[in-house]
Amino acid sequence: MTVLLEGEGLGKSYGGVRALDGVSLRLSAGEVLGLIGPNGAGKTTLVDLLDGAQPADRGSLSIRGRKLTGPPSRRARAGLARTFQHPHLALDLTVRENVLLGAAAPKLAGIGGLVAGLVAGAFRPSGARFDATLHRVADALELGDLRRRCGDLTLGEQRLVEVARALAQEPSVLLLDEPFAGADSGGIAAISAAIRAVRAQGCGIILVDHNVDIVASLVDRIMLLRSGTVVFDGDPAECLASPEMQDVYFGTGGENVVA
Amino acid sequence: MSALPLQKAVGSVRSAESARILGTLVLTVAVIGWAGADLFRQDLALLGATYALLALGMYMPFNLAGALSLAYSAYVAIGGYSVGLVATKTGWPLPVAYLLGALASAALAVVLGFATRRLSGFYLAAVTLLFGMAFQSFLLDAKDVTGGAVGIGSIRPLTFFGSELDRQTFIALTLLIVWIVGVAVDRVRRSPFGVALQSSRDVPAAVEAAGVGVPALRLTVLGAGAAIASLGGGLFTTANQTIGPDTFTLHLVMLAIFMPLLGGQGSAWGAVLGAVLVVELTFNLQIFERSGSLIFGVAVLAVLLIAPGGIIGYAGQGARWLRGAATRTRGARR
Repeated sequence: MTVLLEGEGLGKSYGGVRALDGVSLRLSAGEVLGLIGPNGAGKTTLVDLLDGAQPADRGSLSIRGRKLTGPPSRRARAGLARTFQHPHLALDLTVRENVLLGAAAPKLAGIGGLVAGLVAGAFRPSGARFDATLHRVADALELGDLRRRCGDLTLGEQRLVEVARALAQEPSVLLLDEPFAGADSGGIAAISAAIRAVRAQGCGIILVDHNVDIVASLVDRIMLLRSGTVVFDGDPAECLASPEMQDVYFGTGGENVVA
Repeated sequence: MSALPLQKAVGSVRSAESARILGTLVLTVAVIGWAGADLFRQDLALLGATYALLALGMYMPFNLAGALSLAYSAYVAIGGYSVGLVATKTGWPLPVAYLLGALASAALAVVLGFATRRLSGFYLAAVTLLFGMAFQSFLLDAKDVTGGAVGIGSIRPLTFFGSELDRQTFIALTLLIVWIVGVAVDRVRRSPFGVALQSSRDVPAAVEAAGVGVPALRLTVLGAGAAIASLGGGLFTTANQTIGPDTFTLHLVMLAIFMPLLGGQGSAWGAVLGAVLVVELTFNLQIFERSGSLIFGVAVLAVLLIAPGGIIGYAGQGARWLRGAATRTRGARR
């Protein structure tokens, strides 16, 4: 398996608190890596460091062997896409427009791409050339009527739209930060099916979630984080039975217990 | 078979897009006809066109992307002075001046935006406000270039294949240019670029994560907006054949902030409608004499309270209500 994403000794501190302390990870093509751990373990911080939303204090990152640095926009162009723990959608815009952002973003890269996009907008405002991508993604996630305003959607529907926007970028690495939170059973099924579909195409996926059962059913490997360090990295079934897992989730460590 | 192209034409006219383009063209031609040879009406039309280009220039960065620059009086003035300088100091055709003014204004807007790119939007407003004030002092002091307090006069009119355009024709041309820019800006609003712009106002992190650099996006649109506003200054100066440091002041920018609010932010045409209303309120209501700005302020407050979507937004709501009522009546008859 080719290694897509590789992180070495990633660290991040806030003031005196070490949110992430020397985390290394490796994600292969067609692999789903589950990232679990209690609140405050550093899951979202790790996603932010990978995506560039926050700069890492220590460590290095590479994608397909090439160094991965800079702002999120540059990393997105290198093949990274993500969703957010709290959906980040333009609520005044429609479902179609929000997904269109993901599909059209590669064309709006750099000053040249932006100026071209501005001029093209005056001549071809519809963005019809992205329709194939839009409809493929919308069908996969069963988005329904694309003309609805995102502000009128339920939280679960907003999650679907956000996953759709990330998929429309046609990424090689997909970071999903709690995509199932607030989704109903239909949404969970649609997102799960989409994850399996893009994995089959060779995409590497990092899936962050509290729901251990869903994660275990989808992932090839689990990384268990606790207080900013990796305490287990391996087979999902082994992880669930491991003493580390017992300790983190059912132990007397005083941290949040997730049923 | 001959009916087919006609059906196609009717079908395409039916779409909202074509209706908007044709409707606004009809209105533009109506204003051209209304102004006619009447000098006062020509002045109003010219002022309306200049305000409209200013408001259209601010529409993309401010109303769509949320980046408020207050240096637009400087950009409009640069457009005006570049016409003055090219007309009096060179033999170049005036369109060269429009281009140079637009490029200089865009470059300046990018520099000011770049300097404040890591700060909050408040600093963009503050720095550009200071720049606008400093630029007006510069226009007064740099007498060798700008003519100081007197400004630049006797600017030659635009020529078209050797013949001079009279004022009436030139103003008609200016109004058509406003229409073209309005169509372009409104189409950009709905395009993928416009979607990225509007998203960058509400969820910049998502736009970044999708692969569009938000700072570069803002700079691009600040530059484009400055170029549009500068074109307005250039056309105004060509029609009036004179420009001075008091022609375009900060007061104008303050008015322009509220133009889209008045007309409706949901469409670029709201900015144009707002500009027309401002001209009407501040110059044409003779009975109120000099209280135009006060009336304008009251009008803005009234619109904010009654129709937060602006006049176009309010009309759109009304139209949807009427359509709904018609459907309901039809349903009841069955």
